[in-house]
Amino acid sequence: MSFSTFVTDKAGLQKMYEAIISKHETYAPVEKFGKYDYKKVSSLKECDPDSPIAETMSVKSLFFPRSSKIMKYEATSAGTSILETDQDPLTAQRVVLGVKHCDARGLQVLEAVNKWDYIDSDFLKRRENTVIFSARCDKAGTHCFCTSLDYDLENLDALDIAVVNGAEGKIYLQARTERGETFLKEKLEKSTMYNVQSTNDESEMKKQYVAFTASFRLKMDYKDINEKMAKRFDSPAFEEASRNCVSCNTCAFICPTCHCFKISDEKIKDTGVRYKSYDSCNNVYFTLEAGGHNPRPAKYRRWRQRSMHKFVYYKERFGVNLCVGCGHCAISCPVNISIFDVVNHIASTPVGS
Amino acid sequence: MDYSKQIQDIAAKLFADGKIDVFVGYRMNGFDDNQVPVVITDPKEVSTLVFTEKSVFNLSNYLKADHTRNKRAGLVVKGCDSRSLNLLLTESQVKRDRLYIIGIACEGVVDDKGQKMQNCIECIVPDAVVYDEMLGNPQGRKDYIVNADIKALAEKGLVERREYFEEIFENCIRCNACRHSCPLCYCAKCCIDQETASLYNGSNTASSAFHALMTWSLHLAGRCVDCRNCEKACPSHLPLHLLHKQNEKVIFENFQNHLAGVEEGERGAFYKYSLKDPDDFIM
Repeated sequence: MSFSTFVTDKAGLQKMYEAIISKHETYAPVEKFGKYDYKKVSSLKECDPDSPIAETMSVKSLFFPRSSKIMKYEATSAGTSILETDQDPLTAQRVVLGVKHCDARGLQVLEAVNKWDYIDSDFLKRRENTVIFSARCDKAGTHCFCTSLDYDLENLDALDIAVVNGAEGKIYLQARTERGETFLKEKLEKSTMYNVQSTNDESEMKKQYVAFTASFRLKMDYKDINEKMAKRFDSPAFEEASRNCVSCNTCAFICPTCHCFKISDEKIKDTGVRYKSYDSCNNVYFTLEAGGHNPRPAKYRRWRQRSMHKFVYYKERFGVNLCVGCGHCAISCPVNISIFDVVNHIASTPVGS
Repeated sequence: MDYSKQIQDIAAKLFADGKIDVFVGYRMNGFDDNQVPVVITDPKEVSTLVFTEKSVFNLSNYLKADHTRNKRAGLVVKGCDSRSLNLLLTESQVKRDRLYIIGIACEGVVDDKGQKMQNCIECIVPDAVVYDEMLGNPQGRKDYIVNADIKALAEKGLVERREYFEEIFENCIRCNACRHSCPLCYCAKCCIDQETASLYNGSNTASSAFHALMTWSLHLAGRCVDCRNCEKACPSHLPLHLLHKQNEKVIFENFQNHLAGVEEGERGAFYKYSLKDPDDFIM
């Protein structure tokens, strides 16, 4: 199935965004303390769909919330009963504006694990009911390496509608999924408000992509990394590379693909609430067993788990890398460690040395 | 402020004399002018060490890590870093005879945008207070001034202040990066990680964030040295210094001008007893 492409201008796009916000439940990057996070918005003024990638949190939290209430319960000497379970509030369609391409790819990667042995219907339903607008970046950030990974960024179908800047203020809107196609057609075909024309000319989009790919500082050969990392489980380079890590877990919390979580209770007297919240494999307590044994007691083992999970284990199991090359971990790291540097360094060391 | 050459020479000599097992310093990150802390065990790597106004991270944080604990370590400390190191020494977390400390008479460090950091503008102890060797020209101690943000906050009404802090707690994602990057948070099991303490349930609800951040800041009251490692680590860019600077002000005013870690061997405000301590809250 081929999808349609439309061309409009800045003013038209703004008008369209406003119309979407007034009609649909819309989420977009909202600035607070200099950092953008996806929040529900009621007007375009509150948010910035073109928020800088380095200062924007991952959209993952809209699909896999930072903490979600699982249930409320009562536990007394007479027994335990469940008072209420989590009702997924997402029934109507919602729209997310200003998602980054790499971030959207993160959701696609996460779908594999959420469809695995346990089907996480909440995650899948949220994705099913969301239309994602994603603008392709014009310039790569310092830590970006999305074009070096195992997905086709140019025709990425992890998002529903791609927004691409052309020359002379032209803006291209391209549907990438059936959901996006239906949504775009509904919005654009009957309306004359948004200065929109249908087009088949994709040469400017191609040009933008070529200029974008040329702006990358970081390039890697992911196949080579996958192969080499798989052979280096015992590499002493992990110890060396993790020495200056302070185990602060920021990298995992802001990662668009990390999906480890913990279950914890907030209990007051007899009633309690059970939460599912983010956790990180870099956390020393993550693998701590009830008996006191910890299979990953040293920092380098936890680091090894994190980098091997990104580039080896997930690839072996689901056929895709768990890293999408967004560079958020390197940006947020208080000691400026970059996973790109770490895996490249480890892959370059001799096996078994 | 560039002491790279001197630090390289000192570190090389320490390794050659067999005085240290590890050296904690900074190196360039390899692509722009920002730096990465580095823990060196191989004397060959000494030539990568640098120190400029981009050397921001407080290295005393590394003394609680596996590679440096129970080892003889050399490290570089600025004024604020040396204050936290001082407290770690007083609180018996590190042994002085295992350390070789290169103190810096610090002229202030800059953030990612090249602006001088706010805590450096207001710095009261620019020179290292505990050291084996000092680099640079000591500038002497400066007068304590109340932080501008705290002053502005004090002028706001109670409701406004509460709303402002609620915003901070709502934007906290509970990654605990502030705690892990803090050099003075060294508990083997932190109270906010206790499974049985339901207040700190690990969720990022505003109440959980409130309890976690308030407990954390109160444990650092009279100990925080304003190095801003926590703010550098916070992925939500929360102004965490407000919690600490407010505590610092209250303690300075009520506990005989106490400033954390400025004197060698001096304990935190809550760890020592003086007849002059305020007691009007006791019934």
